[in-house]
Amino acid sequence: MLIPLPGLPPAGQVTLGIFLMAALFWIKEPIPIYATSLLVILSQCFLLSAHSPLVKWGGFPYPPADAPSAASFTGILANPTIILFLGGFMLAAGAVQFSAEKNLVRVLLAPFGSKPSRLIFGVLLSTALLSAFMSNTATTAMMITMVVPLFASLKAEDPLRTALALAIPLGANLGGIATPIGTPSNAIAVAALAEAGKPISFAVWMAIGFPIVLVSLAAGWVLLLKLFPPMATEVKIDVAGRFDRSPKAIAFYGVAVLTILGWATESLHGIKSGTIAFIPIALLPAFGIIGREQIRGLSWEVLWLVAGGLSLGNSLRDTGLADWVIAGVPWEALPILAIYLLFLILGVALSTFLSNTVTAAILVPVAITLGSTDALPEGGFVFLAAALAMATSFGMSLPISTPPNAIAISTGVVETRHMIRLGILMGVIGVPVILLAARFLWPMIL
Amino acid sequence: MKTNVSPRMLILCLDDEPAVLDALVRDLAPFEDYFQIETVSTIAEARQQLESATQEGGQLALALCDHLLQGETGTDFLVNLHQEPAHASARKVLITAQAGLGDTIRALNHARLDYYIAKPWEPEALRAVVRDQLTTYVVKMNINPLPFLPILDRAQLSEAILQKNLMTDA
Repeated sequence: MLIPLPGLPPAGQVTLGIFLMAALFWIKEPIPIYATSLLVILSQCFLLSAHSPLVKWGGFPYPPADAPSAASFTGILANPTIILFLGGFMLAAGAVQFSAEKNLVRVLLAPFGSKPSRLIFGVLLSTALLSAFMSNTATTAMMITMVVPLFASLKAEDPLRTALALAIPLGANLGGIATPIGTPSNAIAVAALAEAGKPISFAVWMAIGFPIVLVSLAAGWVLLLKLFPPMATEVKIDVAGRFDRSPKAIAFYGVAVLTILGWATESLHGIKSGTIAFIPIALLPAFGIIGREQIRGLSWEVLWLVAGGLSLGNSLRDTGLADWVIAGVPWEALPILAIYLLFLILGVALSTFLSNTVTAAILVPVAITLGSTDALPEGGFVFLAAALAMATSFGMSLPISTPPNAIAISTGVVETRHMIRLGILMGVIGVPVILLAARFLWPMIL
Repeated sequence: MKTNVSPRMLILCLDDEPAVLDALVRDLAPFEDYFQIETVSTIAEARQQLESATQEGGQLALALCDHLLQGETGTDFLVNLHQEPAHASARKVLITAQAGLGDTIRALNHARLDYYIAKPWEPEALRAVVRDQLTTYVVKMNINPLPFLPILDRAQLSEAILQKNLMTDA
C-alpha cells in the first residue's frame, strides 16, 4: 500500500493487499482456508467499505463515502448461490437420515449386474450421479461403505479391488461438475457470473456439465479397465433397495423431488434456483426431518469459504484491480485457444495442490475480467469461467488433491502411484474434453 | 487440503505374567504401526506409563487388563480409570480366566467394561475385538478417521465420515 502503483486506484491497492494476504494464506494454510475467507470479509468491511473506521477515526480521506456498505460484504454470506448450496446441504442431510442415498445407489447399480467391468462402470456412474447433488466427500464415504464389503470375496492381489477403490473418488470428483451445487468451485463460477450480469440457471449448468461428466466417466472407465484388468469373473453385490416408507421419509422424498424438479425447470416457471433452494431449507425443519443436531452438522465452513472467495472476486472487479492485473498481458494478441489452454491447464494444475474452491476463487475473477477486453468474443467470458470451474475438478492426481482422493488412499487398497497415473491421464483427457464442449456444444445451449 | 495428524494413541496391556504380555504383543502386531502398544505388569507401572504418555500428548484408547494381579486386581484399575476424566472414554477390556461373578458385575457397572475376553483367547477373535473397540473409540472421540482406515473397520469409519460430516469438499 505504501508503494504507489501507477494506474491502480487506492481501493485497488487495498484490494491487492487483501488479495495477496488471502492467496498466501490459502496456499500456505497457516489457518484453515475457511478462516482466511472470513478474514477477507473482515478486511473488506474495515478497509474498503464506506463504514470503514479509517475515515471516522483514522482521519483518512479514504475510503470515499460512495464506497460499498459493510452490509454488502457481510451480505454475501446469504448470496443466492450460497443459499442454493445450503439447500443442497439440507437435502443431503435429509437423505442420510433415511439412508435414501444408499438405496438409490442400490437401485442404480442393479442394472449393471455382477460382471466386474460392468460393475466398475455402475460404481462410476452411480457415484457421479449422487455427487452431482451431494458433496463429493460424503458420496465417497458412502460408496466406500457400500463397496468395501465386496473386497472380502476378492483375492488380495486382484486389481479389481484397486479399480473399484479408484472408481469411487473418480466418479465423485467428476460428478461434482454436473450441477451448480455439485462442488463449491462451481458455486464460485455461478455466483461470480450472476454478479457480472450473466446468470446461468441450474438446468443450463447441467446441460453444459453433464456431457463432460459422461464423456470423462467413459474415458475413466476404459482407463481403469486397461490399468487394472479384473481377475474375478463375478462379484456378488446386494442391490435390493430397502427404501424407508415412514411418513417422514415420504415427506422427504416429496420435498427432494419437488426441489430438484424446481431447479431443473427454471425456464418454465422463472423462479430462481436460490429461491427454490429455500423449499428444503424451510420445509425439512418444519416436517421435523432436519433438527437442531442436523442443522449444527451442516458444512457451514464450506459456505463461508465460498462466500469469502466470492466477496474477494467482487472487490477485484469493482476496484479495478482485476483490470489492472490483466492489463499487463497483450491478451488481444493471443489466439482464443491459447487463452483457454492457459486457464484450463492452470486450473487443473493449481487444484491438484490447492483446494478446488480456492483455485476457482483466485482464477475465476481474472477470467471474467477478460470479458472487458477484446480478447474474447462478446460474452465469451461466461464460457471461460464455467470451463475453468469445471477444470478444477480434474485436478485429482494426488491424495491431497481432493478429500475423496484422501479417503480412497486411506482405505489402503489404492497406492499413491496408481492414483497419480490415473489422475494425470484424467487431467490430460479433461482439458480437451472441456475445450471441445465449450467450442462445439455450449454455443448451442448458452 | 490438510489432514490433522492425530495424537499418539495408546493400547495398554496389563498382566503380571510376562508370557501373556508377549502373546498379546505378538497377536496385536498388526496394530503396531497405528497405535502405541505398551505392556505393564503392575497398576503402579500402568499409572506411570499413562502419565508419561499423556505428557507427550498421547491418549489412552484401549486398556486390556487381566483381573487377578499380585495383590491387586485389574478390575480396580479399570474402575479407577473410569473415574478420571482424561481416561474415562478409553475402551476397557478384561482378559481373564479367574474373575468371579461379583468382580465381573463390578467391572460392568463401575468401569463400564466394554468387553470380556476369556483366557485362552483365539488370536483372530482378539484382533476382531480390539479392532471393533478401537473403531468405536475413534468414532466416538471424533478423531480424524483417515489414518485408521487401513487397520480399523473401514465401513464403520466411512459411515462416521458420512453421518458426522467429518470431511467436506473444499
